[in-house]
Amino acid sequence: MAGRDETPGTTGSRGSRLLGCVALASLGVLGVLAFVLTGPDVRIHPTTGEEFGQFDAVRMLYLHVPMAILMYASFLLCAVASVGVLVKRTPWWDVMAHSTAEVGTVLCGLVLVTGSIWGRPVWNTWWEWGDVRLMTTLVLFLLFAGYLALRGTTSDPRRQERQAAVVALVAVLDIPLVNRSVEWWENRTLHQRSTLEELKIEDLTLFTLMFGFLTFGLVVWWLTLQRFRVGWLERAAIDHAVGSAIAERRSETSAVELDAAIGVSDDPAGEESP
Amino acid sequence: MTDDAGSEPPSLDLTPRPARPAAGNRRGAIALLLLLVGGIIFVLLRTLGDASLFFYDVAEAVDLRSDLGDSRFRVVGTPQPGLLVTELDGASAVVFTLCADDVLADVVHLGDPAELFQAGVPVVLQGAWTAGRPPDMAGLPDAAGDGWYLRTDHMVVKHDNDYRSDGAELEPCGAGG
Repeated sequence: MAGRDETPGTTGSRGSRLLGCVALASLGVLGVLAFVLTGPDVRIHPTTGEEFGQFDAVRMLYLHVPMAILMYASFLLCAVASVGVLVKRTPWWDVMAHSTAEVGTVLCGLVLVTGSIWGRPVWNTWWEWGDVRLMTTLVLFLLFAGYLALRGTTSDPRRQERQAAVVALVAVLDIPLVNRSVEWWENRTLHQRSTLEELKIEDLTLFTLMFGFLTFGLVVWWLTLQRFRVGWLERAAIDHAVGSAIAERRSETSAVELDAAIGVSDDPAGEESP
Repeated sequence: MTDDAGSEPPSLDLTPRPARPAAGNRRGAIALLLLLVGGIIFVLLRTLGDASLFFYDVAEAVDLRSDLGDSRFRVVGTPQPGLLVTELDGASAVVFTLCADDVLADVVHLGDPAELFQAGVPVVLQGAWTAGRPPDMAGLPDAAGDGWYLRTDHMVVKHDNDYRSDGAELEPCGAGG
């Protein structure tokens, strides 16, 4: 185990390396399931008798939907950690909030990109300004990107932590809007209602989607773990730099001068002198 | 503490030094933050602007035809079987009949339709009412034929949330479904 002043050469451990390998293998299996083993979405229209559906574009949903759910989870964890920052005021909560916000923001960006790639063939548009879910998701992305930018605007770490925590708690209020928008504004959105809530999915399609949740759960766990450790080391480095600066400052003057300056004498009698 | 005026201790300036300049990073972060705030404002304005474009189903659009005049709006409905490719004002167009709650409206969509556009799958169109008969209307099996048509130029497909192989809970509309 590393001593107090030792810095580990890696953010990995045996457990996290194993987790990373399992996550990587799961991504491979998910790729095979999504792009090889499952079929395209092709159905027969009940009245016209013609084939309809999303065809091969449906495969993108095995990535898009799990990423969206794990994005929610990351941002909610960030909110919980932000409450911890405001209540407990310990570095652990702040590093956790920062880590989960970063992972969530990356996922949010990927959700927007994969959704756009899927929307072009299925909806006939890369982007639709009138779609409530698209808008609320974009706002969520910008809010958390702002959260990350805010963390660099002040050199006072305690102030930075508190400000960031408040922004995170405001930003997560957008999550219910993103998630429920397809129900609340059903006739003003292109997004379909929830498939899982109405269980309109079955067999290998359902299994692949569930496997996607598991896979991205492992990926997010691994990413958060690594980012947390990097964040913790960053803090240790800052603390170490502060300690070094104090030591450097102290060394600029001799111990005797310093003692004299603060009025401490080695001579016990001196303390008694008027 | 000693307080010997005769031997004044050497002066040592213990006031904190100014922090090392990380101003470059901080300025960059502030610029990024301002950019993101600007982005959020842009999105909200764009969304509000887009929200001013009213969203109706076919039945509502027919009901409000006189109020809507030539203003642009969104309309959602299900295309009926019988899609005709033709030309209008020198541009390629698709002529079809849109249906919602068994109310029909004829449509002339200018430009290429969506890749997954087909009869029976709901679409959202943007355009305005135009008085007159659409070209080649005689070829439409379920034409509304009420002397008006929707002239549209933006089409997106609104698909359902069913992924079961035999799942197609699309509600039939009009005679053609």
